[in-house]
Amino acid sequence: MSEKIGIYVCECGPNIASKVDIEKIMQELAKLEDFKDKELVIKNHKLLCSVEGKKFLEDEINENNLTHLVCAACSPRDHDSTFINVCKKTKLNPYLYQMVNIREQCAWIIPDKEEATSKAIRMIHGGMDRVLYQQPLEEKQLDSNPDVLIIGGGIAGMEAALTLAGKDRAVYLIEKSEILGGKSAKLKELLPRQGVSLNILKQKISDVQSNRYIKVFTNTKLDSVVGFLGNFEIVIKDVTDSNNTTELLAGAVVVATGFDLTDVSSLDSYNTKKEDEVYNAFEIEEMLSQHGKIIMRHGKEPGKVALIHCVGRHEVGYCSKVCCSYLLKIAKMLKDQSAKIEVTELYKHMCLPNKQDETFYEQVQGKGINFIKIKNAEVVGTTINFTDIADAKKKLDVDMIIVGTAMIPAAGTAELGVELKTDQHETGFFQEAHLKIDPVSTNTDGVFVVGGAHGPVGITESMLQAQAAAGKIFTQLIPGQKIIPEIKVSEILEAYCTGCQTCLDVCGFGAIYFDEDKGISVVNEAICRGCGNCVGSCPSGSIRTRHFTNPQLYQEIKEALR
Amino acid sequence: MNQSENVLIIGSGVAGMEASLMFSKAGKKVTLVEKLSLIGGKTIKNEETFPNMDCSTCLVAPIQQEILQDGNINVLTSSLVEDVKGEAGNFTVTINKKAGYVDLVACLGCGMCYPVCPVELINEWEENLTNKKAIYVPCSGALPNVPVINAEKCLQLNGTESCNKCVEACMFGAINMEEKDKQLKVNVGAILVATGYDMLDVSEIKNLGYGKYLGVYTAMEFERLFAANGPTEGKLVMRDDKTVPSSIAIIHCVGRSQTHYCSNVCCTASSKHAHFLHHKLPDAKIYNIYSDICLPDKTYQKFHEDVKAHSSEFIYQADRDKMKISEEKGKLKIEYLDNNNKDAFIQVDMVILANALRPAAGSEELKKALGIDHDKFGFVEAQPFKIGSVATSKPGIFVAGCAEGPKDIQNSVIQSEAAVAQIMSLLNT
Repeated sequence: MSEKIGIYVCECGPNIASKVDIEKIMQELAKLEDFKDKELVIKNHKLLCSVEGKKFLEDEINENNLTHLVCAACSPRDHDSTFINVCKKTKLNPYLYQMVNIREQCAWIIPDKEEATSKAIRMIHGGMDRVLYQQPLEEKQLDSNPDVLIIGGGIAGMEAALTLAGKDRAVYLIEKSEILGGKSAKLKELLPRQGVSLNILKQKISDVQSNRYIKVFTNTKLDSVVGFLGNFEIVIKDVTDSNNTTELLAGAVVVATGFDLTDVSSLDSYNTKKEDEVYNAFEIEEMLSQHGKIIMRHGKEPGKVALIHCVGRHEVGYCSKVCCSYLLKIAKMLKDQSAKIEVTELYKHMCLPNKQDETFYEQVQGKGINFIKIKNAEVVGTTINFTDIADAKKKLDVDMIIVGTAMIPAAGTAELGVELKTDQHETGFFQEAHLKIDPVSTNTDGVFVVGGAHGPVGITESMLQAQAAAGKIFTQLIPGQKIIPEIKVSEILEAYCTGCQTCLDVCGFGAIYFDEDKGISVVNEAICRGCGNCVGSCPSGSIRTRHFTNPQLYQEIKEALR
Repeated sequence: MNQSENVLIIGSGVAGMEASLMFSKAGKKVTLVEKLSLIGGKTIKNEETFPNMDCSTCLVAPIQQEILQDGNINVLTSSLVEDVKGEAGNFTVTINKKAGYVDLVACLGCGMCYPVCPVELINEWEENLTNKKAIYVPCSGALPNVPVINAEKCLQLNGTESCNKCVEACMFGAINMEEKDKQLKVNVGAILVATGYDMLDVSEIKNLGYGKYLGVYTAMEFERLFAANGPTEGKLVMRDDKTVPSSIAIIHCVGRSQTHYCSNVCCTASSKHAHFLHHKLPDAKIYNIYSDICLPDKTYQKFHEDVKAHSSEFIYQADRDKMKISEEKGKLKIEYLDNNNKDAFIQVDMVILANALRPAAGSEELKKALGIDHDKFGFVEAQPFKIGSVATSKPGIFVAGCAEGPKDIQNSVIQSEAAVAQIMSLLNT
């Protein structure tokens, strides 16, 4: 079939028509030397994106049996999808259509009409050159597995499991320790709403254990993962016996591996021994669970207690955001235990980002606690040398120190990130796909991160993040629904690939693997997003991205550079 | 009656938009109600967002576009929810859609109608820093890019005189002065409240001189002053349209003693403002006056430290209620208690008050229409006896974003996605 290119110039009302010479554009395009042996249909329209305009375009494609289409109109961001949808109603493959932006890139920015017209002609000419080099592409559909692997059996992992599990969706919950519950299981009382019973946590554990759609593997960790959203092949292994492995299939992975606390003995400003009366929050919580009150190692109640905020914050480089409120909680507990205990809070910045916290702070301030704002503190045993906000150097001897230590990524976080091909934030936590607008996704489609693995969090936030990941999975991985992967992906030309594997390093999505037998790199099209990183990196020029091949791009810019 | 799988979302900020797109992906029909004539919420008022200085428009515009083009999402701008009847799985919602007098399909947003309008009005969306016409879009780049007419002020519509100038200027016949308010009824299975926040009126705090001294700005006023699509097109000049400030003080925690909560985002926003100022006015002296700095994310401290090192001098004040701002010889004098609890002062040209977030205007009416509970601050209360929930006191009605309390974009989106999970679970059982 011979080529027949339709070129439609949208006037966009006065937006384009008043700033470029539409008639001249059409006349010049009709006279193009290099298209003189091609059949061209060149028309203008008042408003191509209108209902009437779309119908016009559809009829034009059908009646003229167009083989290629160029729309010169506004920004593709506005109406590329509009014209693609028009093509889809016709026999024309939408990848044989090209949009040229003569509004934002000509009409709106070039005051001189002649100049704007000339640029518009060259841009449309480029679009015509390009479209002839384009190839028809067909969307593929892949089956998907709706089941989910959750790594970590703390509050976040359990919440995700309970939200996701159902008759259409199985959940595999793996936990490296022998029990479910994670760090929350150590708490005596929950923040921020004091008095909420920990029975909630116990209830969650039993709900998870009794849920027939959740399969729990304790003493288990991840061995390997390969695949992509909808189709992950997973191997898990026994923590103690790495030969004892199980294979699973799942469509998504939720990472909920939690956090650890900074060890004070690792800090330069802390010179304390194991037997000193220095405790972190979890040690206090355990003490409360065991003895029902806060006591020293020899069993007696302390007379003077100092609570130090922001311990290790400087070293890790971020605020752990829950320590201020839990230290206030412990201070109140001490005062409730005995009004005689002298309690001092040494804080740098009181950070209370939840709406309930301030009321609690006001309440605690009425308890006779000594609040001192400090710049820094050094600790030897249970003696604190500190500089207060007025730059005065002071010393405080106490019977017991309780430290609010920074939350850090759990051991093994980095290795897990490598296995899952997810990016790591400079703090060591997992990196979100987008900090603001896609906060529980990662750069690997189908892998989500929630709770302490995501960054410092409280229980409420952990649970909300877990539900958020569930929400994403509910809407991305619908049981029975096919997945349509990106169509404009990279492909490696076997004959040219030298097997140098440079492309494996630059791929941000883990979409390229090395075929040992053939000695070449291969793109997994289901994972590739078509970013083109690999194309630029390939020394032998053996990679191309569909719909954005070098010849196509050269054709498009050739006219612009003329 | 049949159970409905459709969803009503009230508020089109980042939380409402994220939930809308997710539901659409899952094949649910969404009615997205927005009281203003544009979608996008407060995020689009910011030029850039902390800590990565992402351009807000670049962040949100693609989402706005996607929403407007999504066949599963019915966007009702200039609309209010008036009444809700029924229960989870089957709510009947009455929505009032205010006449905008401009056809959303026929209008191209070419902007030919505003210049001819003879009426000048204060532009509230631009924090009263500029004017608009009686036919207007609140700012350039507004989406949908379709103006509305203020019927009370339009000479034709309020009966002052026969003015047809905008109708004549429109080349698409998109303006219809005969349009009437519409009452719509929709049947939905669940409702998400994502109505966001407003800012505390700082003129209530007398000793800070807002409204009295022209050099005192609120944080949101400053955002618009800085915005490239704002009233000065991003030129940092004060209210007299010519003075470029050479010294600026940013006051943290304004109104916190009145609201009794930390507003969560002001410390980072104030650090951002210092960064902006230093960037645009490298010779200006910038101060941040604070009591405590709250940086609740793994990424925020680094940004703040950078601002502290390069852009602004951070001054501690011992008691935020003791601050007093007055004018002396054309300068603003800020008196405060310093780190030794002694009286101190600085003098500056411009003051930015980082004022508290408060429940959005209209929250009380919505609360009545929905029959949900608020907390003592007036924010929507998430189920009081269930931690980690975004369900309200009324089954089938959920909350996300700043409607539940002050929070940043990230946590608004997380709540929104969590609400989607809870609603999907509800609708599918």
